[in-house]
Amino acid sequence: MSEKKRNFYRLLEENEFVFLDGAMGTQLQKKGMEAGAIPELLNLEKPEWLNAIHGAYIEAGSQIVYTNTFGCNRHKLAGTGRTVEEIVSAAVQNAKKACGEKALVALDIGPIGQLLEPTGSLTFEKAYDIFKEQVIAGEKAGADLIVCETMTDLYEVKAALLAAKENSDLPVICTMTFEQNRRTFTGCSVSSMALTLEGLGADAVGVNCSLGPKELEPVIAELSEWTTLPIIVKPNAGLPDPVTNEYDITPEQFAESAAGLVKYGIKIVGGCCGTDPRFIKAVTERLKGMKSVKREVNIPAAVCSPAKTVIIDQPRIIGERINPTGKKLFKEALKRGDIDYILGQAIEQVNAGADILDVNVGLPDIDEKEMMVRVVKALQSVTDLPLQLDSTRPDVLEAALRVYNGKAIVNSVNGEEGSLEAILPIVKKYGAAVVGLTLDENGIPNAAEGRFALAEKILSRAEKVGIPRQDVFIDCLTLTASAEQAAAMETLKALNRVKTELGLKTVLGVSNISFGLPNRELVNCNFLQMALTNGLDLPIINPNAALMTGAVRAYKLLANIDKNSAEFIAAYSESNITATVSGAQGASSAAKAEANDLPSAIASGLKAESAHLTEELLKTHDSMDIVDNMLIPALDMAGAEFEKGKIFLPQLIMAAGASQAAFEVIRKHMLKSGGETVSKGKVILATVRGDIHDIGKNIVKVLLENYGFEVIDLGKDVPCGTVLEAAVSHKAKLVGLSALMTTTLGAMEETVKLLRDNKAECKIVVGGAVLTPEYAEKIGADFYAKDAKETVDIARKVYSV
Amino acid sequence: MIEKINRDEAFRYMGLKGEISREISDMADECEKRLLEAAIPRYYWVYAEISEVSEDAVTLKGYKLVLRGRDISAHLKDCFGVALLCATLGEGVDRLLRTVQAEDMAKALMVDALASAAAEQVCDAAENEIRDRFPGKYTTWRFSPGYGDFPLECQGDFLAAVNAMRTVGVFLTAGGLLTPTKSVTAVVGLSDSPVPAKRRGCGSCSMRESCTFRKSGGHC
Repeated sequence: MSEKKRNFYRLLEENEFVFLDGAMGTQLQKKGMEAGAIPELLNLEKPEWLNAIHGAYIEAGSQIVYTNTFGCNRHKLAGTGRTVEEIVSAAVQNAKKACGEKALVALDIGPIGQLLEPTGSLTFEKAYDIFKEQVIAGEKAGADLIVCETMTDLYEVKAALLAAKENSDLPVICTMTFEQNRRTFTGCSVSSMALTLEGLGADAVGVNCSLGPKELEPVIAELSEWTTLPIIVKPNAGLPDPVTNEYDITPEQFAESAAGLVKYGIKIVGGCCGTDPRFIKAVTERLKGMKSVKREVNIPAAVCSPAKTVIIDQPRIIGERINPTGKKLFKEALKRGDIDYILGQAIEQVNAGADILDVNVGLPDIDEKEMMVRVVKALQSVTDLPLQLDSTRPDVLEAALRVYNGKAIVNSVNGEEGSLEAILPIVKKYGAAVVGLTLDENGIPNAAEGRFALAEKILSRAEKVGIPRQDVFIDCLTLTASAEQAAAMETLKALNRVKTELGLKTVLGVSNISFGLPNRELVNCNFLQMALTNGLDLPIINPNAALMTGAVRAYKLLANIDKNSAEFIAAYSESNITATVSGAQGASSAAKAEANDLPSAIASGLKAESAHLTEELLKTHDSMDIVDNMLIPALDMAGAEFEKGKIFLPQLIMAAGASQAAFEVIRKHMLKSGGETVSKGKVILATVRGDIHDIGKNIVKVLLENYGFEVIDLGKDVPCGTVLEAAVSHKAKLVGLSALMTTTLGAMEETVKLLRDNKAECKIVVGGAVLTPEYAEKIGADFYAKDAKETVDIARKVYSV
Repeated sequence: MIEKINRDEAFRYMGLKGEISREISDMADECEKRLLEAAIPRYYWVYAEISEVSEDAVTLKGYKLVLRGRDISAHLKDCFGVALLCATLGEGVDRLLRTVQAEDMAKALMVDALASAAAEQVCDAAENEIRDRFPGKYTTWRFSPGYGDFPLECQGDFLAAVNAMRTVGVFLTAGGLLTPTKSVTAVVGLSDSPVPAKRRGCGSCSMRESCTFRKSGGHC
């Protein structure tokens, strides 16, 4: 342990409560800071102000003061002519001068001031870099600890905490900002914060800003059940008035409410917006003589994303479908880098009832690490379900753990020495849970005893590196019953012992059991029931198989876990069955009866029906024949009606969705028969740099694809150079650019110019809410498209199809 | 804050006319439910006294933000102060938009339109609160950066004025756009005398040349 860490822990040990300071901004305003000024610059310009402010807080009783560096990052300082290092150094000196031996100096790190991916455009890696610069400067300047505060995005705190831990030896404490609904603005829950940050090795966690101490009570109460770390609370002086900008509670009220939080085991206390030295003095006096409450916390086995914590206190389904093994379409999608396909697989499992998704993208011909990072980020952008990161390669697992937002499961470690040494330390570092497979260099033990012994070994090794017991999940391994019939019962025996004797959570991939047998689902389903009865917590199954998911639901009902059968009824009551069917397949039974040929199924937007009819047609028709003579004419018809105003955009897109379902069937068929995929020509699409509104572009994409065009979708906020690169490397004859805001039209013009200057041999079509035909002509585009339909017409013209 | 989304408004954004079919209204039911679950609507406003209105700029006492442009100046010429408002549906809506795009683009379009309507409803709620805080005073209609010649470039100073990062969790991207995407900034003028009921007209709108409502003979 570093000396600074010892100092921090000594401070915690020697005091019932440790006191922080209060607000900085309002104190600076009182000293005369002008509106709109950058407060961090005052470290250099007015060191005497900072000395005075820090000094006043120390006099009031603060034992840790925050440096005036809340927004001291390279993004916010851009244009000031000052560097992060310069200001951090001055700020730490100002605080140290005031502190002497009386208080510790915390390098204050606030949010960067830009939203991170996926909603914003700042990447996790870039955020890490920004924080790293602050951390290095802070340690060099002599800060005693680092505080990451007022965070609302768990991803951003993770970047900051990792940057602090990897680039300094200082203790790191983190506080996030919660609203009355016990969520942060980005939807992060209290449990997710606690699980994630404690896992990553924070030295204390808590809450600051947004509300007064009274309103924060439910947040603190919840937090006290989810962390073993010291709890920090730094509330506002109540709530502000929008007209006077005054906060509404007195120092005495503040102190009284803070005293009410002692019972939850708070340890580190200060004030945020609207507080001043009087508040700190009041709270130190009020808590004097009170004892801090020692908490006995039993944190349950749980994994999480920012918005969803899955407690493993009952069977939870791990969806197994994101895995290329034995799946031609999936393999092809991976090779093409078709993330949308993978997202589709995820959404399907989410809607079918999965609680956690396993993610495996291992394929010999691709860069697994790069793909894993992309897929994890993309999955987390569309689903709240926690992920189980599945790879045989430690470097892939580490890369995935790094960018995963929340607490994940690692799949897997086993009893082999090499595996234990490579996997357990990264599980510990990133605070994940881990699946332990009961096998080692000698293979899978036949008897239950051998597997149980391996489970014990894995557990003891995990605990040795500091992984808490509840985060070790054991997989006793399913063998194929047709080959080793006696093994099934051994697996279940081992599972039962691991569960009852070691008290660990158990995982099991189920589908293997029936390999080589007829009526596999029947065998799978029964084995699953037997495993659940023996204590299986985490079945890894295909949740889209209604019988399997149903077996888990039925088990929960019969085992009296699903109280009042609520979950079961919600899943299977009449109205919900129709809702699920129409949700998943877009077809109501009434409409189904009407469509018995493909063109009319497409025109009515019936996905399942279109797919089914296509399957039938493929028995007698050639793929391209179906595309050219049925799919496209049907879309043409819908397009013509749209132009006439008889149907509207939603119906046109529904038709496109149905056609997409038909296309999917055709693509699968062509892959099976080894033929080429459908392509009428390549079209590159991009929403230009600076623009993040991409729904319009995505609508164009769907329609183009359904006319058989191969769309290379560069996404949103795309740099000009990337468009040029893609246009050249794909030899696309058509590039489509979209911009929604007047402010981003400039980037569109630049992109067009770059393509022209480099003599890219392509036509350019532009579109978007603020565009006009005149502007399109002015910036040198070849076409202006007023909507998705017109873009298709243009693409057909360009490719003469 | 919002229990029901103004569907007529959303349908108008989507360009739907005439009788709404059963399939569209079913889809709207599902999308509305999911949107209301995903949204964490919130707003924050601050009062600022006007120190000067010139022909093409309005300066505010105690704020760095200057409201530039002839249109906003004309809009506020009889006002003593303004409420600077920032409202958002939150990042959950962006997530939902991504999810439904992976699911079904038609639903995505529906969620997008419903969300735009909902964001206006959050602003309405804020405006009601503002009116309640200034009894006996009169308010102008909401004027947002991007209307007329009121430049979008002021968004950074605007967000700083309402401390949007802390108060509502709204940020600016490097490209100058608001995130979460379903967020709005707006100025509400406060006046001692009734404000002439001049509707927000297309004449003062920067979208007038490309607006689909206008093309089809309507207005927003």
